Amino acid sequence: MNGKLFLKNQLPVLLMNLTGMLALVLFLTANGNPVSVSLLVVVVWMAVIILYFTTLYFTRKKHLCKLLEMAEQLEEKYLLPEVMEIPERADEEVFYRILKMAEKSMLEKIGGVQRERKEYKEYIEQWIHEVKTPITAMKLLCENNDSPFVREMLAELENINRFTEQALYYARSEHTEKDYLIREIELRDVVHSAIADNKYLLRQNNVVITADNIDSNVYTDDKWVRFILNQIISNAVKYRTEKPVLRFFTVRENDRILLSVEDNGMGISESDLPRIFEKGFTGQNGRMIQSSTGIGLYLCKRLCDKLGIGLTAYSEGKGTTITLSFHINDFVTGVQG
Amino acid sequence: MKQKILIVEDDFTIQTQLKTLLSGNGYEVSAVTDFSNTIEQVKSFLPHLVLLDIKLPGNSGFDICSQIRTFSDMPIIFVTSSNTDMDELNSIMLGGDAFITKPYNTAILLAKIAALLRRAYHLEQAEVFTWNGATLHLESSSIEYNGQRAELTKNELKILYYLFKNAGKICTRNDIVDFLWDSQLYIDDNALSVNMTRIRGKLEAIGLTDFIKTKHGQGYTL
Repeated sequence: MNGKLFLKNQLPVLLMNLTGMLALVLFLTANGNPVSVSLLVVVVWMAVIILYFTTLYFTRKKHLCKLLEMAEQLEEKYLLPEVMEIPERADEEVFYRILKMAEKSMLEKIGGVQRERKEYKEYIEQWIHEVKTPITAMKLLCENNDSPFVREMLAELENINRFTEQALYYARSEHTEKDYLIREIELRDVVHSAIADNKYLLRQNNVVITADNIDSNVYTDDKWVRFILNQIISNAVKYRTEKPVLRFFTVRENDRILLSVEDNGMGISESDLPRIFEKGFTGQNGRMIQSSTGIGLYLCKRLCDKLGIGLTAYSEGKGTTITLSFHINDFVTGVQG
Repeated sequence: MKQKILIVEDDFTIQTQLKTLLSGNGYEVSAVTDFSNTIEQVKSFLPHLVLLDIKLPGNSGFDICSQIRTFSDMPIIFVTSSNTDMDELNSIMLGGDAFITKPYNTAILLAKIAALLRRAYHLEQAEVFTWNGATLHLESSSIEYNGQRAELTKNELKILYYLFKNAGKICTRNDIVDFLWDSQLYIDDNALSVNMTRIRGKLEAIGLTDFIKTKHGQGYTL
């Protein structure tokens, strides 16, 4: 509480007292009292006023500081009226009612936004569910009528499917509730299904693939990891150079299993490398390729953070290695988390 | 005897295309068209396996699954476009044998169907293929002709397996590479040529000359 401001607020009371004092002194002098009597009265009056204002100042200050501190400690500040004491002073009581009103309208607004977001998420999930039916139908139609033209369509279909999945996982990553299921999975199976998801895209671009020596089991959600691998594969194809090569391998390192995806593409420059997982970051490569959105890797990182998987990128001029590191021992906390 | 598969899927295009795909792979296929009495159709068709969508008009796939389970242990594959954990858990709890999400890879779907049918009805998988006096042994990964044997690598075995399975027909290079990819062997066109040359060398060594014929611009045939 600001002392000066406090005094300024008390100015009318102070002036009233001073006027009273002046009137009393005039009255006493007019009645023939000696100056010493007037002086005594003034001194006593002043002392009482000073005492009154200092006590008032310090009790108010203590009370308000407590309130301020309480508000600062609260994470959701608008909930202050729930924790503070109901004030007894008339003016404070009005402020309390105002705070209550503000709190109520805030809560209503938050509830509304949350409901809207939930509905939107549900809509996205449902939309994706629905769009997968025509995608499946088209894929079956294409595969039943093989031709070079159809193969190109199949590669595009894989892209469409990946983009729809991206929207789905974006919606899921926004939500705080848990949407995954941790269980023991064979990394080899996930890698092979991710490759199968991009079969036509990879074949069309003549990508040479090695995926031997992947013999590790980890505890995680296979759908999420498959989605992450799909994004990495699509990036490798997007930023490929001539004679693209893609190598999948696992390494065991202390209490971790590292799954790496290594390509020989255009690589990531040193200055871009620390920022590739940022939302909307496209970097030098992205500027060259129109279709970069800066969402793919950002989403991978978010999903990895949720699942407790480490995600790192390594690049030295040419080629990129993206590594997912799975903890072996903390799956129990993963299940509970 | 042909294995019978029942498709329970409400999207007409998917239904017909699945029919084409499955009958093309040697199954007898029927599809449910009237979803008000799916169970009666299951009972009258008596399939060896059911492909079941979850979201259906009328009863959901889950309901149908639990109804089927009251009278039969036939393999049930859930095929759905919603890949939520709840659906997957439900499908397992209710006795589904597999859960495949749309859009599925047809090779994976076919492999799953074959594997489930084999397990459920204890079918023997053919281990030996014969064509024009040459015998391909899958288990020992070798080819035999007139008492002479040649060992084959994984890639060579898969290529020969595909050619033997489609013996007499022309197999395009694309088909062969597709098949290898579906078998998780990622080979490109050049590597296929290398493998073909090597296979021919091995075949000649056991006296099989010109066993694999090249149809120019089309592919290979036995």
